[in-house]
Amino acid sequence: MSASGSSRRVVVTGLGAVTSIGTTVPEMWAGCKQGKLGVSPLDGFPIGDLKILIGAQIRDFDPKVRLKHFKRDKIILHADRYSWFAAASADEAIKQSGLEVPFTNPYRVAAIVGSGAGGLNTMETCYRDLFINMKKATHPLTLLRFIGSSAAAHVGIEFGVKGPTFATCSACSTAAHAIGIGRDYIRHGICDVAVVGASESVINYGVMRAWQAMHVLSPEGCFPFAKRRNGTVLGEGAGMLVLESEEHARARGAKMLVELKGFGMTSDSRDMVNPDIDGPSEAMRFALEDAKLGPGDIDYLNAHGTATTINDRNETNAIKRVFGEHAKNLAISSTKSMHGHPLGAGGGIEAVICIKAMEDNWVPPTIGLDEADPECDLDYIPNTGRDKKITYTMSNSFAFGGLNAVLVFGPPPA
Amino acid sequence: MDDVATKIIDILKKHMKEPRDDIGLDTQLTDLKIESLDLAMIVFDIEDTFGIEIPYNANEEAADFKTVGSVVDRVRALIESSGAAAAKA
Repeated sequence: MSASGSSRRVVVTGLGAVTSIGTTVPEMWAGCKQGKLGVSPLDGFPIGDLKILIGAQIRDFDPKVRLKHFKRDKIILHADRYSWFAAASADEAIKQSGLEVPFTNPYRVAAIVGSGAGGLNTMETCYRDLFINMKKATHPLTLLRFIGSSAAAHVGIEFGVKGPTFATCSACSTAAHAIGIGRDYIRHGICDVAVVGASESVINYGVMRAWQAMHVLSPEGCFPFAKRRNGTVLGEGAGMLVLESEEHARARGAKMLVELKGFGMTSDSRDMVNPDIDGPSEAMRFALEDAKLGPGDIDYLNAHGTATTINDRNETNAIKRVFGEHAKNLAISSTKSMHGHPLGAGGGIEAVICIKAMEDNWVPPTIGLDEADPECDLDYIPNTGRDKKITYTMSNSFAFGGLNAVLVFGPPPA
Repeated sequence: MDDVATKIIDILKKHMKEPRDDIGLDTQLTDLKIESLDLAMIVFDIEDTFGIEIPYNANEEAADFKTVGSVVDRVRALIESSGAAAAKA
């Protein structure tokens, strides 16, 4: 479905990101500029008998530094790692927006902070304590740490959000759904400001075993659209936006970075792992229709591009179906080649990247693309980024279960 | 103060927002500004330290836990009974 026929325009006034190629937006964007590889040997937990030994883990994030100024949320430092990433990126986005916190009109603010899986590192520790270490009890904060809504609640508490506060959950489309829903809430007058995005941190022994059993992880690296691609690489992180109605942003003289023009969502309704072309194509079409744009208007597309054999081929075909002749002229890249696959957080991080690309008129590359798969024959910006005038961008998120969400960004209203 | 009391006071201090050095056996717990979540973490730490289980429900008034001394007494009793249970087994 798409939400059309409504009135209020929605702009982005703040960006936040925590990724393996940079733990703030400027650092991440510098990482994109350098074509930095965020994938490295797994570390920080017992590797045991794992066969997949790489991941896009975040190494240089210290919650005691990033969250020490938190005032209202007294237990943020005791929270799960996924809540830390959400809190840090929300903090960055809200600071950039210049909004006063706690919010002056708190019931008119939403915090929609998704997670594909919630605090699975906490559950890993809990089960190790109970079943291996034979502890008599789990840590008393175990429940509050792992619930999938805890990141949303932590963000809401710290920044004084009293309007709609909850998490979305749709695997790799989680962040895009959160962003789209926040946009629609503002568009339809339910709130004026929305802190939206998602966070993920699930790289531990148990989750690695679960992914390993799916046989979709690469032992070598994440090489989207490349002939040699052989699976994705798990990442972690968060990506958040501050959305506002145009009039709310104008009234306070805020800098409007971009307009969130289009949102399209569909479900393949077919298979848990094998995507089809219809679902992704229709989601892209609905997003364009919602934005009142034609396929030829899009200058840069941040692909879902997971580097699984099936996704990249299917996504290429879906892009060709939607964009027709323009597909060949479209700059497309998968930044997962750099920051890995941060699962539910992907759409949030990639939305931030789309907006930075518009700001700089520069498209980030797909690194590791030495030789393209003959079935993936579009312009994926191999290995080095490119200067290009960028007015409109699209961000694709296609999840397990066939859950698709697409965002379209354009210049801020004149 | 014996070992049990010292350890318990250390645990209390660890979980206090503003740790104090004047905590004694007759200090009222209500004076320590311990919130409900902190109390759950304190109970967990005490259980872990002494290898005991403290029957406690956050929904009920903790009548046993008025002062630091009452906590120490209760923990000492639980250690003794668990030791007795272990001896029987």
